[in-house]
Amino acid sequence: MEKKNDEVLLKIEHLCQYFKMGNSELKAVDDVSFDIKKGEVFGLVGESGCGKTTTGRSIIKLYNITSGNIYFKGVRIGAGIRSYQDAIAKKKEEYKAKKAAGISAEEDAKQKKELDAFIAEQRAAIKAAKYDQKNCDKEYAQQCVAQVKAEYEQKLAKAGQAEKEKLQNEYKNELRKAKNTKLVTQIQMIFQDPVASLDPRLTVREIISEGLIIQGERDKEVIDKKVYEMLELVGLVREHASRYPHEFSGGQRQRIGVARSIIMNPEMIIADEPVSALDVSVQAQVINLLNELRDKFGLTILFVAHDLSVVKYFSDRIGVMYFGKLVEMAPSDELFKNPLHPYTKSLLSAIPLPDPVYEKQRVRIVYNPLAEHDYSVDKPSLREIKPGHFIQCNHAEYEKYQKELK
Amino acid sequence: MEKKLEVKNLVISFRTSNGKVQAVRNISFDLAKGETLAIVGESGSGKSVTSKAVLGILAGNSIMEGGEIIYDGRDLLKISEDEFHKIRGDKIAMIFQDPMSSLDPIVKIGKQLTEAMILKNKARRKECRSNFNSYLKLLEENMIAAVAKGNSAKAAELTKKCKDFDKFEYKHIELEAKYNDAREAAVEAVSELENLVFELGKKVDKDLKRRIQEVSEFAKKSCHTYLVNKDAARLTALSNEIVKCAAQEKVSKDYKKTIAAMNEMLPILKAALALEEPNFFALGYYETFANAAVPEKAIPELNAFMHQYLDDNFMLAFIEDAKQALVYSAENSYQQKEQAIHFLTNKRDVFARAQLDKKECAEAYKACVKKVADTIDRMEIKKDSLLYTFDSGLKSALEKYFGGISKNEKEKKRYTRQKAKYDALVAKGKEPDWKVVPASYTDIELAKQNILAQLDRVIAHCKKLLESKGQRDFGVETVAVIDYLKENASGVVEKVTKRLAKERAIKLMEEVGIPEPRTRYNQYPFEFSGGMRQRIVIAIALAANPDILICDEPTTALDVTIQAQILELINRLKRERNISVIFITHDLGVVANMADRVAVMYAGKIVEYGTAEDIFYEAAHPYTWALLSSMPDLDTEEKLDAIPGTPPNMIYPPQGDAFAARNKYALKIDFEKQPPMFAISDTHHAATWLLHPDAPKVEPPKIVTARIDRMKNRRRAEDGKEE
Repeated sequence: MEKKNDEVLLKIEHLCQYFKMGNSELKAVDDVSFDIKKGEVFGLVGESGCGKTTTGRSIIKLYNITSGNIYFKGVRIGAGIRSYQDAIAKKKEEYKAKKAAGISAEEDAKQKKELDAFIAEQRAAIKAAKYDQKNCDKEYAQQCVAQVKAEYEQKLAKAGQAEKEKLQNEYKNELRKAKNTKLVTQIQMIFQDPVASLDPRLTVREIISEGLIIQGERDKEVIDKKVYEMLELVGLVREHASRYPHEFSGGQRQRIGVARSIIMNPEMIIADEPVSALDVSVQAQVINLLNELRDKFGLTILFVAHDLSVVKYFSDRIGVMYFGKLVEMAPSDELFKNPLHPYTKSLLSAIPLPDPVYEKQRVRIVYNPLAEHDYSVDKPSLREIKPGHFIQCNHAEYEKYQKELK
Repeated sequence: MEKKLEVKNLVISFRTSNGKVQAVRNISFDLAKGETLAIVGESGSGKSVTSKAVLGILAGNSIMEGGEIIYDGRDLLKISEDEFHKIRGDKIAMIFQDPMSSLDPIVKIGKQLTEAMILKNKARRKECRSNFNSYLKLLEENMIAAVAKGNSAKAAELTKKCKDFDKFEYKHIELEAKYNDAREAAVEAVSELENLVFELGKKVDKDLKRRIQEVSEFAKKSCHTYLVNKDAARLTALSNEIVKCAAQEKVSKDYKKTIAAMNEMLPILKAALALEEPNFFALGYYETFANAAVPEKAIPELNAFMHQYLDDNFMLAFIEDAKQALVYSAENSYQQKEQAIHFLTNKRDVFARAQLDKKECAEAYKACVKKVADTIDRMEIKKDSLLYTFDSGLKSALEKYFGGISKNEKEKKRYTRQKAKYDALVAKGKEPDWKVVPASYTDIELAKQNILAQLDRVIAHCKKLLESKGQRDFGVETVAVIDYLKENASGVVEKVTKRLAKERAIKLMEEVGIPEPRTRYNQYPFEFSGGMRQRIVIAIALAANPDILICDEPTTALDVTIQAQILELINRLKRERNISVIFITHDLGVVANMADRVAVMYAGKIVEYGTAEDIFYEAAHPYTWALLSSMPDLDTEEKLDAIPGTPPNMIYPPQGDAFAARNKYALKIDFEKQPPMFAISDTHHAATWLLHPDAPKVEPPKIVTARIDRMKNRRRAEDGKEE
């Protein structure tokens, strides 16, 4: 199961996601960076409202991100422009301040030129970002189309008259599919609430096959075959395909959600609290199912949850989020053995365990950012304190934590 | 321990278009005061149905097939909806699973929070007034009967005494209410001042203007004769100063002066809070009847003086009279009890015959109920639940017997008819696609014994009371009576206005951890996140200050930190207010944290029942093992043991153990016969055939034993460290 792989599948750089709230802005995700390796399960934990779900949704492009870059398989699939705009504004301010202070005409011309060059550079970056944000899928589709074309033209050239017609049909079909291919569909999502995320007016077959149809698959037999295959894979039976979601129990519905996402043959799954709304026994069933699928397809999973015992059980690495910021990130054993950030400590001290005597003694650590940190002078950043173990801190804290580690 | 709630042999079904769903099948448990009982099980095991039955909010298609839910001496299944209004929400409150559906989407949060407060307060004042008046009247009557003995002058004197008591009792409450307001303000001011000093020291001044204004108002409010008296002028000056200083220093952000002033205010308030509380009860009497100004003394001396004054002039004599009244009433009731014992023993023959006569039984029932009702001592504050429930208990037992006779006949007819039809079909060589439902007869013998048991129980109870007659301390009871009157009087004076309700609601919101409660107060439910909504629901449930709190999966939708906060909140409130909690959940980690006792439910039955230690360290039922092994903890590495399959369809509950089909350890008998409750220890019971002496020895699954070992090792390691 432990396949050590250094290939980075998803890379997130300085992701910011702000929402407009009247005149002010809500910083749901603020400068988050991490990468997920192929075949790895990355757990994202934090309290509700800390932005972990928003991070997941931003990755899958359900929102247009405000700033930062998202790379999937080395291709930039999402990019925001705010950081460039801010840089321009800042540079302009600086220039104005200097001008107000009074400088010679010659110096002024030089500064002005510098400023213009800078602005042009940033604008180009903005243009590129906008283009990537919009067209990454189109480019990927074009690649696919080219590939299909090359393949079939070869085949067609070789084929005899009889086969030609059949091949031509197949070619047409494949070409249509290739045109509709999107890179983002290789990332799929499993939602938290299995009741709300399934359309009550569609049968299970329609729900599961919807993605395939959108992608251009029109052959009924192929669709049916695939749907049955998926149903059996997630532990349901063929007969379930013609039923409606309300006829299923919570665990079964979540299985349908899983089937819907893996039918697209994804490389990566974003599981947004897939077991929070389920009973314990069903929870175990779904976790076991996800574990099996992961072994079978080598899936990469971003596991968003707030139940730390489940996250610990399931994930290889864990990132802890607090109010839009990633405060600590480490391999899961390391995080539970050596929690350093006070918020992580407080989070770990809140886990209830099935042990009454221990529970009666457990004291929860309360995290109060005002009392814990003094960031008035030295601003914090994400620093690597030990190979693989990152923590949000400033210089003074960095040294303190390092002492704590020893 | 005092039992708050008792559930006995409860059976609930639901009528659906497909047939009768047996949701709860004969469960019994009790709940002591200040205890947490956790009910654990999968969804559909009947845990929510049980809790809803306690609250009387089951859906319209439910059928109460039998059993009792006894709270405060009354069977909740039998009282009218009007009476239930007084209990629901006020005495028994509930926190629901889904916060969205338990809040009204078109009413502002503030309104929803205060609505119940204001309504309940109105009702409580009314109730307290009638309680107080009726009890005082009862006391007066008994006093006259006991002390005056026909002497009309003496009787008039006693009447006047009661009136006086009434009068100064109200004065006392008024004084105390004022004092409490001031004291509360002082406590608020101290905590807020400490926060402000800390935050301003860190140069954080969010929302400063309003907060300073508030603190200054609180400080001013805490000036009271018995609180901040000497330094009142200084405190007022300082409170004005901080407002001014804060406004001036806002630009420089250097709050030196403000902090200095605050630091001066703190010791004054703290010293005031350390003072002793005056005896307002005595003070009320003095102010009403002494016709003199209150002497200026330090509080302890003043208290002694007042106490002496009250005792000399009024209280001792009043208590003596009240005691006599109590003794008189108790004597009366003892006489009645002796008579009732004779009467019931005689009437017992009517119910003990081989064939009961319906008419005769009905007459005897009426007479017995009347006799037992007479034995109740109305002066007792702690009500004798057994005597109060005798009526309903006997009635249902009789109904079961006579209903059973007719039902058995019908059942027999149906069975023979179906069987004949089936046999005829089989004889024709056909294979019918339906089965003959086996006849279910009511056990007439058992029903009859039950009737006699009801009578015997009351007789034994009365005998026991008569025996312990000499041990009663009427002095203590008299004091309790006076306290009861005081309490009710305070209930009458405690008026909750809209403004006060708002203040309280905001405080509650703060208590349950909602930031910026003042802005939140005017928002609608959709503007809240799930966790915040749940907190609102908890705040609403707590607003009425209930006796019993039913929590139906209150933290399932919340994340760990919030969950921990809410659990701590519930635990703290439970400790402070000594409320009993029924906690329904499927998360065993939470159960370990909360529960004193645990009941594991499956398919409408309690399969295991014991203290938290019993369930977690010595679980005996395979279902409990399955639950324990299907949740990962921080050290779990191996594959989880999910429970295969789904719970059985309760329209056709299986004949044997309901869990047998999903149970790895099922024996043959599990499929044939339902296991009885085996007692493992005094507190620990489980319903599984594995505990039968003839059963093979089975070890719990490895994942469970490993975890228990781990827990024990850790504890040993910790103990070792401490030593």
